[in-house]
Amino acid sequence: MKRSFCFIILIGFLNSCDVLEGPYMDDTVNPIDTSGNEYVKNILIEDFTAHRCSNCPNAAREIEAIHDVYGSRIISLAIHAGFQFAYPYPLDTTVNPDQKFTYDFRTSWGDEMDTEFGLSASGLPNGMINRIDWTENGGDHRKAFSQWASITADELNKEVQFGININSTVVSGDEIDITVNTEALTSLSGNYKLVVCLSENNIINWQTDGSYEDSDYVHKHVLRSLLTSTWGEDLSGTSINSGDSSNHTYSLDLSDLENNNIQNSLSMNLGNGDSGGWDANNLYVIAYVYDVSNYEILQVEEKSLLAK
Amino acid sequence: MKTQALTILLIICSFKLAAQNSEIHGDFSLTLQSYVEDETINAAAADEVVLNNAFLNLIYSSNNFTVGLRYESYLNALLDYDSEFKGNGIPYRYATYSIDGLEITAGNFYEQFGSGLIFRSYEEKGLGIDNAMDGIRLKYRIGKGISLKSFIGKSRTFFTYADGILRGIDGEIDVNETFGLEKQTKYILGGSFISRYEQRSNPKFIIPQNVAAYAGRLNILNGGWNYYGEYAYKINDPINSLQESEMNYASGSAFTNSITYSQRGFGVTAEVHRADNMLLLSERDRTGKAYIMNYIPTLSKPHAYTLLAIYPCATQAMGELGVQLDLFYKFKKGTLLGGKYGTKINLNLSRINALEGGNSMLNDNIDHTPALLSFDEELYFSDINLEINKKVNKKVKYNAVFAHQKYNKDFLEGKTPGEYGTLSSTIGVIDLSYKIKKGHTIRIETQALFAKEIDSVSKKQEGDWIMALAEYTISPNWFFAIQDMYNYGNEDESKRLHYMNINFGFLKGATRFEIGYGKKREGIFCVGGICKVVPSSNGLNLSITSSF
Amino acid sequence: MKKPIILLIAFLLSCGVTFSQDRSLPNIEVKTLKGNSFNIQDLDNQGNPMVISFWATWCKPCKKELNAIAEVYDDWQDETGVKLIAISIDDTRSMSKVAPYVNSSDWEYDVYLDSNSDLKRAMGVSTVPHTFLINGEGKIVWNHKGYIDGDEEELYEQILSILVK
Repeated sequence: MKRSFCFIILIGFLNSCDVLEGPYMDDTVNPIDTSGNEYVKNILIEDFTAHRCSNCPNAAREIEAIHDVYGSRIISLAIHAGFQFAYPYPLDTTVNPDQKFTYDFRTSWGDEMDTEFGLSASGLPNGMINRIDWTENGGDHRKAFSQWASITADELNKEVQFGININSTVVSGDEIDITVNTEALTSLSGNYKLVVCLSENNIINWQTDGSYEDSDYVHKHVLRSLLTSTWGEDLSGTSINSGDSSNHTYSLDLSDLENNNIQNSLSMNLGNGDSGGWDANNLYVIAYVYDVSNYEILQVEEKSLLAK
Repeated sequence: MKTQALTILLIICSFKLAAQNSEIHGDFSLTLQSYVEDETINAAAADEVVLNNAFLNLIYSSNNFTVGLRYESYLNALLDYDSEFKGNGIPYRYATYSIDGLEITAGNFYEQFGSGLIFRSYEEKGLGIDNAMDGIRLKYRIGKGISLKSFIGKSRTFFTYADGILRGIDGEIDVNETFGLEKQTKYILGGSFISRYEQRSNPKFIIPQNVAAYAGRLNILNGGWNYYGEYAYKINDPINSLQESEMNYASGSAFTNSITYSQRGFGVTAEVHRADNMLLLSERDRTGKAYIMNYIPTLSKPHAYTLLAIYPCATQAMGELGVQLDLFYKFKKGTLLGGKYGTKINLNLSRINALEGGNSMLNDNIDHTPALLSFDEELYFSDINLEINKKVNKKVKYNAVFAHQKYNKDFLEGKTPGEYGTLSSTIGVIDLSYKIKKGHTIRIETQALFAKEIDSVSKKQEGDWIMALAEYTISPNWFFAIQDMYNYGNEDESKRLHYMNINFGFLKGATRFEIGYGKKREGIFCVGGICKVVPSSNGLNLSITSSF
Repeated sequence: MKKPIILLIAFLLSCGVTFSQDRSLPNIEVKTLKGNSFNIQDLDNQGNPMVISFWATWCKPCKKELNAIAEVYDDWQDETGVKLIAISIDDTRSMSKVAPYVNSSDWEYDVYLDSNSDLKRAMGVSTVPHTFLINGEGKIVWNHKGYIDGDEEELYEQILSILVK
């Protein structure tokens, strides 16, 4: 008799299911209201991808969908990494008559980050959201794109700890000066570094999308170059008080940066040097501050390089 | 947690002196492999040089009480295991107690409902799969004919647990036994229910937090006949995306049916199964085999010979339709084909294809349900093979297999359509053993695979293979083997490689020691339709297993 | 992590636990080919020895071992009364092939199905084939892993040795 009670309770399980009926779209979207704040916490979604990875456009579309909901607080960076799906096809028209997939999107910094975080090795598409959940021996920082929406929602609710301002002035032609200013919004102890990079939006080139090879795919926010080293530079001071600010300036020459990528491509396995043809009007400066102890990105900011 | 488990074990042990019938036993396994760089086969060196997987199982049992644990060590894990297997720990510990027909388990346990279509928690060390449950399980038997089981828990992934809370209940009733029927036909009915709770929210779409699946099964036995059928149904289980095209609210379903007839010297099995949107994950938004909670085995023969398994079929739990037929026959001694000792043959046919228009899909803009039985769709895998097993005389025995397989490499390996196409292979295997004298036997195996691609493809093909193996065994303790696989038909001349291996082993009682050296081809190793990618490697491997 | 393990081993030794081979069969259920549940502890051969052999339809050495024993099984039974119980660890993928294979091979063993490897784990089996010898009192007295052509002779010697006792 007593035993059957156990099962009667367990039969209660049978009611535990949510059967839903359409319409499934819920139009009561409520992005967090930050209109009153000077600084808001932004999210960096690093999307590790490759131009012959057929499932990768789904991840890029997921970023667009997240951006549609949360607006400018979502900043993304597409890093083409891993050998198998990222290497370019030869420029030689006898071997590659249709000139498909000849562009080399890879960069030395992208590969270094890929190796450190083990992303392409775990399969593409793969990504990180503000590099959270990194541990010495773990793989939790790697997030499949189906997790990005919920993780982003949680991250957006976190307290903002830094403010970042980016300014750029054209000196002449390809020479541009960039200043990045960081301001601590609370007192913090720990080691923090700043990384500044350039990304190019709307690069039109080949991409495998499912079973289709798209020659006019619009690649969004592709990592071009880092203005700091891969792991960044220290913010001045070891402990930071609320209100402490730090200024960093960079003088860059776009043709030099472009040439650097071309040379890097030639030095890579099956690289063909086809990494140039940058459109300065589509370039963006992305700057982020991260905690050295666990790589977590505490604030990120994005600004168009040339727009006023 | 570890210290708690050990403390419990120590306390139990101290009561051992007072308790009767108490025993401890266990088993141990260690696998060590060295990885050396080899550019020809694309083998990478491991930074650690030597990688190892090891585990130790301990079980203490006394009367109606059992306590067990398993210590696992990955320092670091072999390259064919997920890199998340890192470090040491006791990821498996449990205590089980039975009284008056009720069995209670607290801690980790493995469980399967029916054929596993809606739920199977199991371990497959060869693949690196271990989704043991951690929670409470109850099993109860009412009389001789009714059995009930129920559980609630979380599922293991590597050294942690997935987010979803799983609850299940399963009942099985042996109709004849329960109602005291004396018929020749026997009926066994079963039903199961599983539900997963995972806290989720989506700003754009309504998302269920509790997802349930049901299954019903029927087994009819009559003399040499045996029919088994199971049907499973899963309600809406979408991922947490913000893209409409990724949101799928369609329900999932799967069924499996098999009919078997067997008598002395003859047996036949026919099976059909279909799966549509039936992947049940312990944490919905994750990908990877560590999160799969149900088991839909691939409907193809598990081959033991290398070249027959070089292109294995992975189950498509999201959408596939498969059929399989097996025929076993023994030609009697003295007949023409039987010869002096009799000849055994096994004919197997299997075919797996896609669902019409893809799996079921439902959201505000799409509503698609594929046809129930359509064999005209894209072929994923097919296999026709004949195995002959014959003893020629007191000294010579042989096994011969002839097979013809079609393998849709583009789809099954996630490549772009048109890259590799579908491979059509014709394979022959001859496995001959010769008894030199008492206890000494030499076995020689030769295999050949002739491949050609169907449809024009853009990549260079792997082409034909040939393999040879010689194994010398001395009963009861020793074995020595040398083998070579040669890809002589590769379109890319630089890839026409030899994969040579030598193995040497010693067995005594329950201890086995094996050492091997050589190159391994990069490939896919599958067990039951779940696959892992094995990277190419060159190095030494050592394995020790023992039980006490 | 080392410290608790050393503690455990020390305690076990101090408990006087002997890792003897005299162990009983575990309290685990398997299924018969007719779909009935059967508790392994209910195995009984009227005081005669029993052999429990774990196998699978996809395991070549397992089939070789059981086929080799099948050829001499009648003689073994006449001389020793031994009964061989073949436990198949085939899971759902190949479980339906067990009965046709067993019948077409003309085996006279008692065959049981352990499709989720519960008995396999409880008896500490990691790879198949793995064969256990059980004496007249139901205790496991000997076990052997793997199969090399000719191993059935060693198994037979072990069976004879426990008859003498």
